[in-house]
Amino acid sequence: MKGFLGSSSGSNVSRSRLIIVGAVFVFTFFIYLTHLFSLQVVNAVLYQKKARDVSERSDIIPAQRGKIYDRNYDNPLAMNIDSFAILVTPAEVQDRSIDELVDKISSIINISADELKRKIPRSTANKYQAVELVSGVSFENIAYIAEHIDEFSGVSWSSKPLRYYNMTGSISHIIGYIGGITSSELQVLYNQGYAYDSVLGKRGIEKQYDMILRGTNGRRIKTVDVKGRDIDREDLIEPPQNGMNIRLTIDRNIQELAEKALGPRKGSVVVLQPSTGEIVAMVSYPNFNPNLFSIPGPTNFGVLSLDPDFPFLNRAIQSQYAPASTFKLVLTTALLDTEAFDPERTITCTGELEIGNRITHCHKLSGHGPVNLQEALEQSCNIYFGTVGMEYLGIDVISQYARYLGLSSVTGIDLPGEVAGNIPTKAWKESVYNNTWQKGDTYNASIGQGFVTSTPLQVATEIAMIVNDGIAYRPHILKEVIDPISGEVHERIEKEILRTSPIKYETFQTLKEYMRSVVTDGTSNVVILNTQVDVAAKTGTGQAWGLNENWHSWFASFGPYETDNPDERYVVLTMVEASNEWEWWAPKAADIIYEGLFGNKTYEEVIRDFKKRRVWYAWDIPLEEDTDGNE
Amino acid sequence: MATNRDVLKFDIILFITTIALMVIGIFFIYSSGVNSAGISVSNEWIKQIIWVISSIVIIILFTIYDYAKFKLISFYIYIVMVLLLIFTLIFGNYVNGARSWLGIGPFGIQPGEFSKIALILYLGSFLDDNYKTIFTLKKFIQAIVIIAIPMLLILVQPDFGSAIVNVPIFLVMMFLAGARIKHLIYLIITGSLIIYLTALPAWSEYIAREEVLIINVLTQWATLKYVIAALILIILLSAAGLRFFKASYYYWIIYFTSSFTLALVGSIGGRLVLKGYQIMRLIIFIDPQVDPQGAGWNMIQSITAVGAGGIWGRGYLQGTQSHLQYLPQQNSDFIFSIFSEEAGFVGAIIVFALYILLLVRSLIVVDRANDRYGVAVGSGIIGMIFFHVIINTGMAIGIMPITGIPLFFLSYGGSSLWTASIGIGILLSIYQRRYRN
Repeated sequence: MKGFLGSSSGSNVSRSRLIIVGAVFVFTFFIYLTHLFSLQVVNAVLYQKKARDVSERSDIIPAQRGKIYDRNYDNPLAMNIDSFAILVTPAEVQDRSIDELVDKISSIINISADELKRKIPRSTANKYQAVELVSGVSFENIAYIAEHIDEFSGVSWSSKPLRYYNMTGSISHIIGYIGGITSSELQVLYNQGYAYDSVLGKRGIEKQYDMILRGTNGRRIKTVDVKGRDIDREDLIEPPQNGMNIRLTIDRNIQELAEKALGPRKGSVVVLQPSTGEIVAMVSYPNFNPNLFSIPGPTNFGVLSLDPDFPFLNRAIQSQYAPASTFKLVLTTALLDTEAFDPERTITCTGELEIGNRITHCHKLSGHGPVNLQEALEQSCNIYFGTVGMEYLGIDVISQYARYLGLSSVTGIDLPGEVAGNIPTKAWKESVYNNTWQKGDTYNASIGQGFVTSTPLQVATEIAMIVNDGIAYRPHILKEVIDPISGEVHERIEKEILRTSPIKYETFQTLKEYMRSVVTDGTSNVVILNTQVDVAAKTGTGQAWGLNENWHSWFASFGPYETDNPDERYVVLTMVEASNEWEWWAPKAADIIYEGLFGNKTYEEVIRDFKKRRVWYAWDIPLEEDTDGNE
Repeated sequence: MATNRDVLKFDIILFITTIALMVIGIFFIYSSGVNSAGISVSNEWIKQIIWVISSIVIIILFTIYDYAKFKLISFYIYIVMVLLLIFTLIFGNYVNGARSWLGIGPFGIQPGEFSKIALILYLGSFLDDNYKTIFTLKKFIQAIVIIAIPMLLILVQPDFGSAIVNVPIFLVMMFLAGARIKHLIYLIITGSLIIYLTALPAWSEYIAREEVLIINVLTQWATLKYVIAALILIILLSAAGLRFFKASYYYWIIYFTSSFTLALVGSIGGRLVLKGYQIMRLIIFIDPQVDPQGAGWNMIQSITAVGAGGIWGRGYLQGTQSHLQYLPQQNSDFIFSIFSEEAGFVGAIIVFALYILLLVRSLIVVDRANDRYGVAVGSGIIGMIFFHVIINTGMAIGIMPITGIPLFFLSYGGSSLWTASIGIGILLSIYQRRYRN
């Protein structure tokens, strides 16, 4: 037998068995070293990353969001106010239970303790991880806690600035607001540096220029041990890059004037500088106050978003209406430019017109009598324009000139969500309605009804193009991007030509004369009563679906009519929806705006002066000062 | 014999290797006591120096003492050891969930550690006395009974790791003593099956995540009893067949069927004895991601530490896994992880080379042994050291399940260091006396 009986060399043990045991040992160690080689040499980088991941925590140092100013660049419209989040690290709470601590905090910040306690995790797994108890805490409350920190062991805080809007109301449509990113937004924006907890602009300028305003967050990378305790090693700090300040073209005084001039009527106002495309005021009613979104009640975001009046709709760029009689400017341009019909030739308006087997009426049922082009525009005669539209121009020319003037395409304003309106053509009707173009369709188009729709901003840009004798500048809200620290202008938005047209220079001159006569002799001479500036304009009174007694009220205008300095000209466009009580308000609102704009007056001053001057439509306008005085 | 000649016979390589490993151990026990701020917060390294010095004394004492004299008293040592284990089971202190410590105040020992030496001495004596008949089944079973008693007593503490160490001691001793290979293989197969079948229900619960019919049949008593009955019937029939027809395949049918039957019965016992967390360790070994924050944490953090070491290591006292305390029990069970993190692949090669040198040198000692008792005892010590090293380092690098087995010479702790040192001392004693007649 083997074993103890041994092998040849006098050993007491079988040498072959010894060698087998030794071989097993060496082989096992060899396997181990192979495995170690795979861990420590082949995959070392992977495990080093794992070791780093397990012990590194990075805290975000938030970049401050840029402020938004109006064109005066004095007081910000949107700013960040100091606000803090209170954090509790359960393991560091001493002398009392966490519940007692939370009760004490709750009594200071006035938020129910039960709500706060819900934030404390039940599991005690990672007691060294700070838990955010509440955010939006004021500096005063934090200061109190800091002074009494002995009583608040385990409590810490971090700065979490709150976006605050100094001016709300109609300007909120322009500025917009911010909110937490949604999962669908994140899918789109993931590669642009947004994270699951990012806050971003949801509407308006906040959304349009989010990349400029947000800046880049910094990071503090710290090393923690297994219990989550911060290690006293030097933290690696990547400083944040604060967002840029934005200066708007909006003048908040004019914005306020326009907002009050429109008053509580569903509609919109656009005031712009035709020589640059700068929007000085843009009003849409109803509006909203983003500062109140988190408060329960009728101003709450959820309530507002279900409001049937659509307060979130910026009606100046997101609503398209029949442009009504303002569209007659397009026909006048086409008539003058193509010379298809002698402007001095008259057409007799009997108050009605037979098209096929259907009779249409002029808005003046008794008829305007014989009118030439200028008189027809002054009186806004439907019969005249319907006739020339059908007989001498045709839909092809009309839609051609509408396009020349920028209708049916977006203006490219730097606000999200602009819509394009519609200018119909024969091909369009066939493709959409599967129906041939009718003569009656041309009649409707000629008076700005039917398939023709435009946004208020489009019509304002059309007027600006007329003012500029055929050049339209892109309307814009952003004026400058300014470095928040140095105050240096980082980027200035120069005026940019949006559109030119082959329309003759003389055409525009004649057209402007006609527009002036609309105010002096025509439809609006009884309304435009301001003493500051000569206005040229076109009114519009449009039919709206389902409303027979009320009409959309347009007033598309510019002033001063004559000037040596084109930069002092403004286009004022007002539009009041048919859903309001009929007051023919659009020209009145524009008149108030002109008085304030050129007289450098506030709305209240304008109304007071108008009342003194016994301007008829100002009699019934209530003034807050008056009511204050009576009480 | 002249004293100076005895000194010349001294196995200096084995001794130096042992000392080298102990010194490495002191350095990394110091490292494990350094906290994240770079401050040493533990004096265990100082205690370990005391343990090492006392261990050197032990090595020298055992080298001087004639190992052959142990044979005369080995039976009594064995009996005392068994009584001590029973005593521990009743009066011992719980450490890490096992009633494995005997102690007064701050001083304590783990009888389970020293029991290995006692077992080796007595089993060696048994093998020496029965060297002519050790290949018979009867002697083989008697030898099994000798190891089974202390092993079961440790198993019910329950200290799965320390209990299982007795198996490789037994295997190496029996193999070098000339036991039959098929007997040893039978033991290996049965033992593996017991572990496998014990862990099977947990496996289906945590890893397969579905009920597997065959597993239910093999683990639930309602069905299992019929399976066992059927298997016993097969064995009886085959035994009858073997007796009447003498065909060798009957032998092999009995061989495998009885192994399986024993394993089934053993797995029932295994599930009774092993605690949930011990079975979970086996599951974690198969897939640590089953419970990465809980039972799998140790293994994942240990593998990460080892891997993060890279080729050259992160430098002494520079490991983050260890100093930020992500590594658990880094001074004892996971000492190899902190070592590998800080000394890297190169360091691991050096330590493995030292262990290989120590083991190969020990095998040479056994080869040169003057008598059969020396062979038997020496091979038991070799099996013990090898298994400790393999299980502990394998656990650190994720190729062995987690057991509380310390890494001899490196891990903090007196009991294991003394046990290993007694082993080295006996080996040196055997080498010392290789020429006597």
